[in-house]
This record gives sequence, structure tokens and C-alpha cells, in this order.
Amino acid sequence: MLALITGGSGSGKSAFAENRVLSLGENRRIYIATMFPFDEESHKRIERHRKMRFGKGFETMECYTGLKNMKLPKGCVVLLECMSNLTANEMFQENGAGEDTVDEILQGIRHLQEKARHVVIVTNEIFSEAVPYEGETGLYQKYLGELNQRIGDMAQEVVEVVYGIPIYHKKAEIRKGGDG
Amino acid sequence: MEMIIGGAFQGKSVYAEQHYPGVHWTSGGKISKEELFCAEGVLGFHQYIRREMRAGCEVRDLAGELIKKNPGIILVSDEVGYGVVPVDAFERAYREAVGRVCTELAGYSTRVVRVVCGIGTVIKHA
Repeated sequence: MLALITGGSGSGKSAFAENRVLSLGENRRIYIATMFPFDEESHKRIERHRKMRFGKGFETMECYTGLKNMKLPKGCVVLLECMSNLTANEMFQENGAGEDTVDEILQGIRHLQEKARHVVIVTNEIFSEAVPYEGETGLYQKYLGELNQRIGDMAQEVVEVVYGIPIYHKKAEIRKGGDG
Repeated sequence: MEMIIGGAFQGKSVYAEQHYPGVHWTSGGKISKEELFCAEGVLGFHQYIRREMRAGCEVRDLAGELIKKNPGIILVSDEVGYGVVPVDAFERAYREAVGRVCTELAGYSTRVVRVVCGIGTVIKHA
């Protein structure tokens, strides 16, 4: 099962995604962390997420670029957080995919689907702006928007979290611990 | 507690005034903390958060305090977290704080309405 969880800043989408993973049964839970810790703010952010996950049985693995090369235990449940960081990493990091970012990440997600029983992906709504962005930021929005659409198409479940309240844009009944 | 949320200029205040007749509304852009804790209804609650932060006040406990001191309040607030992460550190912190405070308040609220194009959709009714 592939689920895409989206929402705005501070909307409670991470907490929702973690609980969604817990509801998928007692498999090994792998948390794929994508935020590159480059300053104090990102360290704090990472620490906050670690505290939130504490006691929920997640093993944390870092992946900044090259998701398709990740080694994962078969049959695990993956929580990938989040698409907005991974996209920025692939676009802007030296060893990233640059203009092939969208394809590179989609390959990575297919790789996760092959290895894991369930994949839950957190992404971000950064598209409601008055002023259009140009250059790198505009391209970043374009790539992330494309990824969100493609993953939304692949997913069985697409949820927008609004202040902790789930709004289901797409939903399939998933049996607990079941395949699919 | 009840909340009416949505983007700017979507008709949230009009919706609030129509659906909650008789409620005395105050403005988040003007009221003091004491006034917030005894208000019936607040329009532009996000502006209150912004003013507090501008004044250097911590808003981490704001939701908890409000739930304790004024659990029946009706709050109207903008959703501000749907754009690109702001470059300015204050704007970035403000944007996230509105989300965190409102997420906690929505968790406590019995009813949350989201207004788009003047149309309210009940997204929570406990």
C-alpha cells in the first residue's frame, strides 16, 4: 500500500503519518529521514521529530539523495519524510539528480514499493502563493508539484491534513497487515 | 470551542457572523491577552499570534492556556501554511506557530469549518 500525506506548515501531517504507520501492523518500521542538518534550525527540527517518534518503534535511516539505492529489510513499513526535503536535496546538492530530480525520486519510490510492504510518504503544500516564483524556487515548486501528482496517482490513499484533521482525497480500504 | 479557518479573503468573517448570530466579535489584531481569555468570538486570530510573537512573547503554551481559560470561544483564523517556506526567520517561525497553535486548538474544538470561496465545509464535528 502506498499512502501520500500532505498538508501545510505545522498542520500535524507528521503525527498523522506516524499514526498511519502504527495502524498498519507490527512489521519493522523504517523512518527515512531526508532533512540535511545544515544549521541550528534544522537540528532543532530534526530533534523535535525524533521526540515525536520516540517509543513508536521506528528505526531511523538517513537518505539525502539516491533513494533508489537504499538497502531496506524486506516486508518493512516505510515512512518517508519528506518529499519537499528530498526534492530540494536532489535539485541543489552536488551529488543530486539536478534536472532529472522527478524521475530519480519516482525510481526511488518504486524501489521502496518493491522492498516494503507499505510505504507512507509525507509531502508538503507550498503552492498557494500570490506572487509567482521564478528561477530555482519556481522550478522547485514545479518539480514538487509534479511529484505530488505522480505519487498521488500511484497511491491508494491521499490525505490532506488540516490542523490535525484528515481530509481524504483518495481512499482504499486496507486490511490490517495485509498485502497490496 | 469552535473554529472557522481558511485562506485570506474567503468570506470567513461573513460566514462567522451569519452562522453565529448574537456572538460579540472582537479582533485578533487589537485585543489584549485578558480580552482574548474572556472573548466570545475572535476574528483574525492569526493576527493575535503575530502580535504576540512580534512583541517577543512565546506562543507555545497559548493553545493550552486558551483551552483552560476560555474553552467556549469561537475562533476565526487564516491558514497561512500553504506557501513556499519564507526566507525571513520571523515569517518562517510565525507561519509554523499559527499551524501548531491552531492544530492544538482544532484537536480540542468540537467543530471546525473550513471556508473556501465563501462556502463553509465542516471538516470536524465531534
